[in-house]
Amino acid sequence: MRLNIRLIIRILSIVTLLLSLAMLPALCTSLLYGESNTVKAFSLCIVPILLFSALLAFVSNPTSTILRIRDGFLIVALCWVLGSVVGALPYIVSGVIPNFADAFFESASGFTTTGSTILHDIEILPKGILFWRSFTHWLGGMGILIFAIALLPALGINALHIAAAETTGPSMDKLSPKMTDSTRILYVIYIGMTVMETILLLLGGMDLFDALVHTFGSVGTGGFSSYNDSIGHFDSLYIEMVISVFTLLAGVNFSLYYLLFLGNWKGFFRDGELRVYLYIICGATLLITAVLTIFGIARGIGDAFRLAFFQAVSIITTTGYCTTDFSLWPSAGTMVLFLLMFVGGCSSSTAGSVKVIRIAVFIKLIRRGIYKRLHPTAVVPVKLGDRSLSSQVVSKIASFLLLYLSLFLFGTLLLSLDSFDLITTASSVAACLGNVGPGLGDVGPLSNFSGYSDGATVFLSLLMITGRLELFTILFLFLPGFWNPDR
Amino acid sequence: MNLNIRLVIKMLSFVILLLAIAMLPSLLVSLIYREFSTAIAFIKIIVPLLIFGYITAYRVKTISTKLGLREGFLIVALSWLSASLLGSFPYLLTDTIDGFVNAFFESTSGFTTTGASVISDIENLPKGILFWRSFCQWIGGMGILIFAISILPALGISGQRIARAETPGPSLNKVVPRMSDSAKILYAIYIAFTLAAVALLLAGGLNPFDAFIAAFGSVASGGLSNYNLGIAHFNSSYVEGVSALFTILSCVNFTLYYSAIRGKWHDFFTDRELWAFLLVLCAGAVLITGNLWHTGSYSSFAESLRFGFFQTSAFLTTTGHFSADFNLWPAFSKMVLFLLMLIGGCSSSTGGGIKIIRIVILFKLIQRGFFVRLHPRAIVPVKIQGKIISTEVMTGVMSFLCLYVFVFLLSSLVLSFENLDLLTTFTATAAVLNNVGTGLELVGPTGSFALFSDFTKIYLSFLMLMGRLELFTIILLFTPSFWNPDR
Repeated sequence: MRLNIRLIIRILSIVTLLLSLAMLPALCTSLLYGESNTVKAFSLCIVPILLFSALLAFVSNPTSTILRIRDGFLIVALCWVLGSVVGALPYIVSGVIPNFADAFFESASGFTTTGSTILHDIEILPKGILFWRSFTHWLGGMGILIFAIALLPALGINALHIAAAETTGPSMDKLSPKMTDSTRILYVIYIGMTVMETILLLLGGMDLFDALVHTFGSVGTGGFSSYNDSIGHFDSLYIEMVISVFTLLAGVNFSLYYLLFLGNWKGFFRDGELRVYLYIICGATLLITAVLTIFGIARGIGDAFRLAFFQAVSIITTTGYCTTDFSLWPSAGTMVLFLLMFVGGCSSSTAGSVKVIRIAVFIKLIRRGIYKRLHPTAVVPVKLGDRSLSSQVVSKIASFLLLYLSLFLFGTLLLSLDSFDLITTASSVAACLGNVGPGLGDVGPLSNFSGYSDGATVFLSLLMITGRLELFTILFLFLPGFWNPDR
Repeated sequence: MNLNIRLVIKMLSFVILLLAIAMLPSLLVSLIYREFSTAIAFIKIIVPLLIFGYITAYRVKTISTKLGLREGFLIVALSWLSASLLGSFPYLLTDTIDGFVNAFFESTSGFTTTGASVISDIENLPKGILFWRSFCQWIGGMGILIFAISILPALGISGQRIARAETPGPSLNKVVPRMSDSAKILYAIYIAFTLAAVALLLAGGLNPFDAFIAAFGSVASGGLSNYNLGIAHFNSSYVEGVSALFTILSCVNFTLYYSAIRGKWHDFFTDRELWAFLLVLCAGAVLITGNLWHTGSYSSFAESLRFGFFQTSAFLTTTGHFSADFNLWPAFSKMVLFLLMLIGGCSSSTGGGIKIIRIVILFKLIQRGFFVRLHPRAIVPVKIQGKIISTEVMTGVMSFLCLYVFVFLLSSLVLSFENLDLLTTFTATAAVLNNVGTGLELVGPTGSFALFSDFTKIYLSFLMLMGRLELFTIILLFTPSFWNPDR
């Protein structure tokens, strides 16, 4: 069975076409701020991409509209890679980031809602570029919702979506009706959240530009800011709270909001994943508060709680905003944050990393393992809420978890060739693979990734995309069996 | 079902008797070296242990000789625990180690063949105590062979000996014949290895005392030395070679030697785990040697190879010997060492860690994960050496790996409250959980575990026991359902 290349090209050219249109708001921003160079750079990107994609979409002329699993994986993977390449163009053309590897990193970090940066001083950048940088978060967040809610179940990566009644099909044909119905409501929710947060931030005294930049960063769970000190710049409890609440909401399964929309409050609050998510946030916040109080880092318990809550939410939702340089915290505090990097938000949210539902299954697997030692002949299903998971789903989740860990260790090994200390290396990989943003040590919240060599920068960018697309989507492309399925 | 307490006590009293007898060689050593205060200390322990052991062994009447699963777990866990407790008395009575906690740590480190130490200057210790310290490892190595080959299969902890067709049974009764037949040959091999190592080391110019201690450390994959500099003290590539050879030999599945002795060379050489072990060993040595040579850490290629190979074998076999201060090595080499620690030796050997066979299954699981996602309807069994691995065994290995990760991360969190740097924290956990004994940074070759608080030392001691006894054996004791199975 051959790949449907023509259709793939058409879909991809539509994506780049949309991307060039998405650059228009950034163009407007630079016009407003009178940045003629940046305006020129954006126009230089938009016009050729627009023409070229339109031409390609027209020429490709697909003969069949059937998409199979392999086509689906390929489209999704190429969308993100191509999106990151195209998104890097404004940085290069405007001369803000002249090096391609660095520009690709920054762009991939935007679209994958990671929020890692290679820039030393962002406050001197043109407003148009800053806007584009944050807008890629928002687009990436939107993209990942399409991916997680509409595409993933069809591709059979079904650890997600367990809460909602779901069927995994072998073909992508049945997608179209789903995409137009329930998914539309999700965008309404996503846009609604964006508007609400912008208004709340404006009320907190931000100007419109800052409000938009930080809204994009939080609802996309990205973490790009327009200030070097990130959220610490504002030093305002109100702003921290607004951002925390919205990142927390963006880390909740969006199909649950759909339930709310339908008036099913009971279903919302009975969701097992949501509960575990909230428990973990509470536990981590309390633990960090205790650590910061005991080791005397914060001024009093209230201050400790404020720092702990903001940072715990920011890391577990893989946003990566910061109010303080947590790489200077006592080991126990940084350790909790490091572990949270591997948790991530709920499934079908804009958050990255392993996802709470898989962590829940992970714990259940261990408990079952212990039980089975004592009762070797017992048959114990793994239950989530009141549903028991099929052994297929469980083994898929287990293989995901083990792959995630293996990839993390392998990535750390490869990156250690750059000879940074191992904590910097390991946390860089964790931060990129989990789409968190800042790591520890030399890549802490107040530093950046510019120290890495070009090869390492591209590798980290690919890790971001791999992590964002639930590992398998990207890794498939490296398998010979993918390209030659009849072997 | 009530626990058969009387039988458990009876079995433990045999352990105590054996332990008392095992102290005789150390007594002899201290007499030879005219350390009379040490000799008196040993006598003071041996006599009460003999009397106590004799009374409990022959006066406690057992009503039934039936051993269930729970008794089996309890006996194994308590055997190691009581050996570690009683083994710490020589240190306490001779005043060589201050405080019960330190002595318990040192003793546990011996019996679990870990080789972590809290003593900063070992060269000042009496010879009798040095001998006892290393002899503990040798006994521990012997104990772990009994545990792995005869007891584990009966307790249903799969993952070990998966290549052979074996069914985990619910009762321990069938162990007894096995223990007396084939197992006897295995101990003969173990002893033969020890004697061969001693002979070769003597030929290399070591005095008998040093030779025995180095042999115990290597064959048991323990790693305790009687010199502060470890193996580097001898500064001889011959001694390093002999030591590396025997650590490698003792990390091969001992049941393979049994088939070799019975003339089944085909079984020996077609064993998948053995090949994987050798592959990992070669890969580790090549990567480290290449990295050391490339970065110019050593002046010549030969030196890079010498130190690279020795350190690879010492870490993969979880021995923890060191011939160089690898804290000064480049990050890549350190990362390779860290990964080797986690992997460990073959099943049914004296090596610790996750074990090669589980790593092989891990990769097969991930591979299947890929395949199942591309072919959602396919049912793919996991095979090793052409034999299908049952789902029971697979889920057993899966839950072991998950539990391992969980214990590792949780323990790192507990250790982080010591507020040491994160690399020390992670590698100390890994060194102890995998029974390696040497980590990086502060617990590296020049460091010791003395810097931890008493609470942490006790925790680490339990972690050693947990790692040595395949996690579940110790963890089960902390579950309520173990003590109350009818609930």
